[in-house]
Amino acid sequence: MEVFIAQVINGLALGSIYVLLVTGFNLLLLVAMIIHFAYPQVVVFSMYIIWLVLGLTGNNLLLGALAGIASSILLNLISAPLFQKVMEKRAEVDINTTMVLSMGIGMIITDVLSHGFNKGHPIAFPETLAGGEAILRVGLISVLPGQVFSLVVGVVAVSSFFLLLYKTRPGRAFRAIAEDPNGARLVGIPLLRTGLESYALSGLLGGIIALLLSVLLGSASPGLGEQVAHKVLAVSIIAGLGNLVGGLVVGLFLGILEAIVQGYISGTWSNVIAFVVMLVIILAKPNGLFGLKL
Amino acid sequence: MAPNDPIGAPPSRALLTIDRISVSYGQVSALKNASVEVFRGEIVVLIGANGAGKTTLLETALGTHTPSTGSIRFKGKAIEGVPVDRNVRNGICLVPEGRGVFASMTVLDNLLLGAHHNIRNADKHLRRVYEWFPILQKRRDQIARTLSGGERQMLAIGRALMSSPELVMVDEPSIGLAPIVVNDIFNILRMLNREGYTILLSEQNANKALRCAHRGYVLETGTVTLSGTADQLLNDPGVREAYLGA
Repeated sequence: MEVFIAQVINGLALGSIYVLLVTGFNLLLLVAMIIHFAYPQVVVFSMYIIWLVLGLTGNNLLLGALAGIASSILLNLISAPLFQKVMEKRAEVDINTTMVLSMGIGMIITDVLSHGFNKGHPIAFPETLAGGEAILRVGLISVLPGQVFSLVVGVVAVSSFFLLLYKTRPGRAFRAIAEDPNGARLVGIPLLRTGLESYALSGLLGGIIALLLSVLLGSASPGLGEQVAHKVLAVSIIAGLGNLVGGLVVGLFLGILEAIVQGYISGTWSNVIAFVVMLVIILAKPNGLFGLKL
Repeated sequence: MAPNDPIGAPPSRALLTIDRISVSYGQVSALKNASVEVFRGEIVVLIGANGAGKTTLLETALGTHTPSTGSIRFKGKAIEGVPVDRNVRNGICLVPEGRGVFASMTVLDNLLLGAHHNIRNADKHLRRVYEWFPILQKRRDQIARTLSGGERQMLAIGRALMSSPELVMVDEPSIGLAPIVVNDIFNILRMLNREGYTILLSEQNANKALRCAHRGYVLETGTVTLSGTADQLLNDPGVREAYLGA
C-alpha cells in the first residue's frame, strides 16, 4: 500500500507536468492557431537557462526560476512573428506550415543546446534542488520534497490557469477565439494581440514547467525536448486535440500510469507500456477520448 | 409607427458615409460602386436577395474588408482599412447574421465579450441590457447553446450594445425566426432607435423591415439600384414585385 501511495504522489507530480505541457500546447493551438510541436524544446531550453543561472548565482533558485520563465516567454514571443503570416489568414489552423516551422525551431534549439552548453553533455542540477532527504521511503521507492514541491506548484499553476481562462477578460477572449475566430473578430476581439497574449501565457507556463522538470528529473540533455514532444503530442491527440479538460484528465492519467509501472514492474518499461496503452485508446477512439475542440 | 423624415437632415449629421466602394473576393466582385449614407437617429435598411452584397457591405463598414475603391467615413473620419477592433472601440458594432453567439459560453460571458474594450463600464451597460432584455438576466448563467432562436438574437443584440456603440448594424435579424418572434425583434430595434441608437439593418424580409425603417436602399448584385424613404420603397412597383411578393 505504501508503494502505491508513494507512486501515486510521484505520478501526480509527473502528471501535473504533462497537464501543464499539454495545456500550453493546446492554448497555442486554440488561440494562436498553430501546432507548436517544438513547445517542449522551448521548455528544455529554459531548463538550460535555469541551470546556467543557478551556476552563476551560487544556486539562487528564485533567480533561476525567474530566468527560466523569462527565457521561455521571450523565446515564444520571438517565434511569434515567424508564425504571423499564418496567423493573419486565420481561416483555419494551417497544420502543415506551422508544424514545419515549429519543427525547424525545435531543431535549432536542440542544436544550440548541444553546441552551446556543457559541450553537449547532459547537464545535472544540484542535488539540493530535489530537497535531499526523502519524506517517505519504501524499499527502493521514495518521495522526495522536490516531488511534493512540483506537485504543489503544478496543481497551483493548473488551477490558476483554469481560473484565468474562465474568470478573466483575457481568458474570455481566449475561449471566444477558440470557439469561433471569425465571430470573435466581428465582436471586436483583436486577434493578433490576443494571439500574442497566448504566446506569452504559454511561455509563462513553459518556464514553470522547466522549473518543475529541473527539480523532478535533476538532469537534462539536448534530446530531452524531442522525447517530451512525442508524449505531449500523444496526450493531446488522445485527449482530443485542443481539449483542455481532456488534456487535464489524460495528462494526470499518463503520469500515474508511468509511476505505477515504475513501482510495480520496471522503470525501463514505463514508456513502452504507456505508449501501448495510448495506441489501444487511439485505435478505439480516433478523435480522442474527449473529442476534438478546434 | 410614423418615422420622421430625415431626408432634409443637414449633411453634418451623417454618421456613416459609404461612398462608391467596391469590394471583391479574389476574382468575384461582391460590391461595385455602392454608396450608402446613414444619419444620426435613423433606421436604415438594406434590402436585397441572397448574395446581393448586404453582408459584405456591413462587414466592410465594420472593417473586415478593405474596399479596393471608394471611401468610408464614420463620424467624419475616414475608416477604410481600420481594423475591426478599433472601429468597435470607436462606436460601430455588428450583430452578425445567424446570431453568432458563442454557443459554449454562458450568457453573461457572451455579454461581457461585447464589452471587451470597455470592461470598466461593463456593469453600467449590463444593467441597461438586463433592463431591456430581462430574459437575459434570468438566463445569465446558462450556456448560450440552450437559448431559443429569439433569445439568441436578443443576446447578440445585447452583446453588441455592451460595446456602447453609436451605430448598430444588424445583419438579417429575422432569418430563421418564427414570425411572432420576428415582430418582437423589430419592436426591439424600434425601441433601441428611440433610445438614441442609429441602426443600419440588412433584410430579405423587406415588408417588415421597411415598416420599421426610415429609409432604405435596394442592393442587387453588389450595386445600389434604388434608394428612398421607406414609404417610397414600399410603394415602388419594382420593389413590390421583387421583394414584397405583390
